[in-house]
Amino acid sequence: MAVRGRHLALWGLFMAGGLLLPLLVDTGIIGRGTLRTIIMANFLAIFAMSWDVLSGRTGYISFGHPFLIGIGAYTTAILTRRFDVAVEYSIPIAVLVTMIGGAVLFIPALRIRGSYFALVTLAFMELVYQLVQVIRPDLTGGTRGMSGIVTLTKGAVQGYYLSFTLMALLGFFLWLLMKTRLGTALSAIGMNEDSVAGSGLNTTRLKLVAFMLGAFAAGLGGAFYVHYLGSIAPRALFDINFVFTIIVAALIGGAATITGPIFGAFFLTFLLEYLRPVLPGAERYLIYGGIALLVYMYQPGGLHKILEVGLERLRKRANP
Amino acid sequence: MPDIKGGYNMNITRAFLSAAVAVALGSGAHAEVKVGFIGSLSSDTGLSTLRGAEMAIEELNAAGGVLGGQKITLVTADTGEDVTEGIKAYEYLAETEEVDFVISGSIDDVSLGWLPRMQEYRIPTLDTWTSYIGIIDMVVEDPEGMAPYFMNIASDEALATLYINFGADVLKAKMGFESVVILAEDTAFGGAITGLVTDALAPVAGIAVNDIITYDINTVDFAPIFAKAKASGADFIYLVSSVNSQVVSSQYVKLQVPMVMTGINVAALGIEYWEDTGGAGGGISTLSPVPSVGFPLDPVSADFVERYQGKYSTRPKVPHFNGFNAYHGLKQAMAAAEEAGGFDDASAWSRAMLGQDMILEKDGKLWLRYGFWQHGEVEPVTGRTYPQNARFDLEPPFDTAQPSMVVIQWQEDGSVGVVYPPEYANMEFTVPSWVR
Amino acid sequence: MLQILIQGLLLSGLYALIAVGFTMIFSIGRVLNLSYGSSLMVGGYTYFYFSQTLGIPKLAGLAVAAVAGCLMGLLVFRLIVKTLEGSHVAIEISTLILAVVVQAAIVLLFGDSSKILLPIIPGVVWVSGAAVTYNILAAMLAGWAVLAGLHFYVRATHTGRAMSAVSMDLKGAAISGIEPDRINMITWGLSGALGAVAGVFFASYTQLSPSMWVAPLIISVAVVIVGGIGSIVGTLIVAHIIGFMEVIVTAWIAPELRGVFTMLLIICVLILRPQGLFGRAEL
Repeated sequence: MAVRGRHLALWGLFMAGGLLLPLLVDTGIIGRGTLRTIIMANFLAIFAMSWDVLSGRTGYISFGHPFLIGIGAYTTAILTRRFDVAVEYSIPIAVLVTMIGGAVLFIPALRIRGSYFALVTLAFMELVYQLVQVIRPDLTGGTRGMSGIVTLTKGAVQGYYLSFTLMALLGFFLWLLMKTRLGTALSAIGMNEDSVAGSGLNTTRLKLVAFMLGAFAAGLGGAFYVHYLGSIAPRALFDINFVFTIIVAALIGGAATITGPIFGAFFLTFLLEYLRPVLPGAERYLIYGGIALLVYMYQPGGLHKILEVGLERLRKRANP
Repeated sequence: MPDIKGGYNMNITRAFLSAAVAVALGSGAHAEVKVGFIGSLSSDTGLSTLRGAEMAIEELNAAGGVLGGQKITLVTADTGEDVTEGIKAYEYLAETEEVDFVISGSIDDVSLGWLPRMQEYRIPTLDTWTSYIGIIDMVVEDPEGMAPYFMNIASDEALATLYINFGADVLKAKMGFESVVILAEDTAFGGAITGLVTDALAPVAGIAVNDIITYDINTVDFAPIFAKAKASGADFIYLVSSVNSQVVSSQYVKLQVPMVMTGINVAALGIEYWEDTGGAGGGISTLSPVPSVGFPLDPVSADFVERYQGKYSTRPKVPHFNGFNAYHGLKQAMAAAEEAGGFDDASAWSRAMLGQDMILEKDGKLWLRYGFWQHGEVEPVTGRTYPQNARFDLEPPFDTAQPSMVVIQWQEDGSVGVVYPPEYANMEFTVPSWVR
Repeated sequence: MLQILIQGLLLSGLYALIAVGFTMIFSIGRVLNLSYGSSLMVGGYTYFYFSQTLGIPKLAGLAVAAVAGCLMGLLVFRLIVKTLEGSHVAIEISTLILAVVVQAAIVLLFGDSSKILLPIIPGVVWVSGAAVTYNILAAMLAGWAVLAGLHFYVRATHTGRAMSAVSMDLKGAAISGIEPDRINMITWGLSGALGAVAGVFFASYTQLSPSMWVAPLIISVAVVIVGGIGSIVGTLIVAHIIGFMEVIVTAWIAPELRGVFTMLLIICVLILRPQGLFGRAEL
């Protein structure tokens, strides 16, 4: 698929709209609370895109994505909190360390795929979860995690600009990249790895690129996320529910599309927030999970696909 | 106090109704004071605080409201005992609901998660369950930034200190125990308490620590661990457990471990403990912040419990200590706002809150006191300050405030009572029937 | 030493009981049923409600739990596996979502608080420094009985042999007149029922809580990965490897590292010998 002017125009519109949105807060059309919700959606979108690059195309499903996010988040948190390293250095270092983590995750991908690979990533996540609590709790904060981590922004509007810019730029960059032959090759790996290898392409190198890109995005997202939250706790991070949220966001939106995970992240975050006033307790997760399951079962291609099919129908109706 | 998995049977209709009421109230009159509750809506812990606050608000509204006749409304934000959800919940209260005051029934980790938000928004906030001493240290270091924060449960250090005295007075002097094996969960809480206890047990209580066993909180099978504890040759087990405490205590009973086990067992703090363990929880004793289950109540608090039971039919049948803290604490927060002219100036409110002091008497004796330690005021036993923390007393005869904790014990017939300190005790410390 | 042997045998028996239902599904469809832990949870809570709250006899409670688990297995198969026929990833993700939905449903029905099941068979005996409850003894014996029964069933009955055939070669089995759908239904139902029974024992050993599904799922996953594509005998052996490893780590090394070693074992096996210790074997 070639990059079309229409697509670029849409991206431009999306970014401009996103950057103008906070102006509406002053007019009272949307509240600050809505901005906070969007910030969370932005971060979820970054994580879901990261998952999409690594898993969505190649079919190497990661059930342990918080493994990567956690490396990024913990690295910068420890550097800034315990060693007083400036954020300008700690975040790039965190991204680099996460990419090393991505390389570690890549080792099993050389030998196994499918369900086995998914499980080994889950095991990686569990292992890090256990280790963070046992090894050097003076650095990691152990089970309780760390609090009082330096935050980069004050208030909803600043946090919004930072997270939105980060998300939109990362999204655009990944989207462009996936429009190149690299994206096509990665998709081909997902369909039939052996035939890609047979056609003379170096699948190992291609997969490594996907893992590095995914780790890059996860590390970046994780580092900024922890500097947004100001605290980190292993129980909330290396959690199967967090895995669930990331994967579901990517899949509900539409895997292997980059834009899909952004949709998915916004859809899920808003669904959960809008249920809050009506169902404050545990019912919220029941409805939320139920909707996720139904959408996914109805169309594993996600909202992206549903939208595409819907538009196709409309077009057919318009010009029979 | 740390994580406790308490709960109740949520009824959908009830939830819808309360949500509808909240919405209806939220869109009502303009002159209102808005209180936000943050905590878990499906745990005993969270519900204790929520209901304590609800009852205080009802009373204040019935008496004509606060701050010149304004009605108080309450909105809730569920944390699900998850740190990230807790941060979102605090943001929701601050920015979408724009509350004036936050009452928290959050567990320690969750409070630590939203604290940076509290410092950012400067909304007066009262924590009723979290007891992490690190937060009080933050108040000491940054009094201005932490001005809006109050904690009206005695902090960990105060809890552990008094518990050592139990070791000296009862375990050593009365039971004749000479040595202990510490069985601590592998959490920050477990580590901190273990440190405090290990440092103090030998010099203060004269009890030797034979061994320290740290266990993984997801342990399925405690048989090897108890075998190890027994092999240490110690006279008793000191347990430090805040997460999944029911597992270790019920296996202790099921395995009939032939040693006394006491310590901190967060699951045993609620009246539903007996029902939740199906009766397999006898002989367990634990440190418990006051007012605790099995703790005789002063008339004011007893009246609160009676009306509580008339109003709520689901668990917790008796509010945990944080329910009392929320009930009295919310009233004090409103009184402080009256003095400070509202909640908007957090520093002024903070000064007024520091001056709040309420003494509840039983039989002409000071029984419970809701007051706060001032900045720079040194507590004599531990030799440190506890600014904005609940006032407590670590020395008999406990005439300046209540003790930071009592020791309660569940008997094998399902009754529960206070065994220490003697001034508040209504039961003897006993050894489980299978221990000889 | 004897103490480790006793405790290891007991825990391993429980783990074998937990893992066998998961192994069956994996063996027959090569698919990971990530909602398997929920079957255990549903079993445990059903038993709790009927036996401990309503007070029906324990054996009847166990039977009701098994029926509930069986129903859940059948529903998962009909509504999810059948609908998503073919796509393993889709099934794995859907069952993961389902597990989270079931967790929310349990919180809604029973609340967040942990509950303790009374021992199914009360009593305890101390053997050379190791406490042995009759309850865990029963769990171990049940584990062995279930595995032996299954082994016999697969070898000696017509349906069992059909299962075995499907697990070896789906197309071949279909050609020889076996209806894979029917075999799948039976396997899923059986797996659910076994899961529920294991859940009752697991819960009576630990506790009931809405997040209790994760631990048995991880145990099952470990058994399947370390053992390779699950055979029944393989399940039994690997359950003992993991069970003994846990007991030895707890007793001799450091109790807090219990989980770390299990995860390391999984990762090492997956990387060094992805086909598992016992390789590909039929049911």
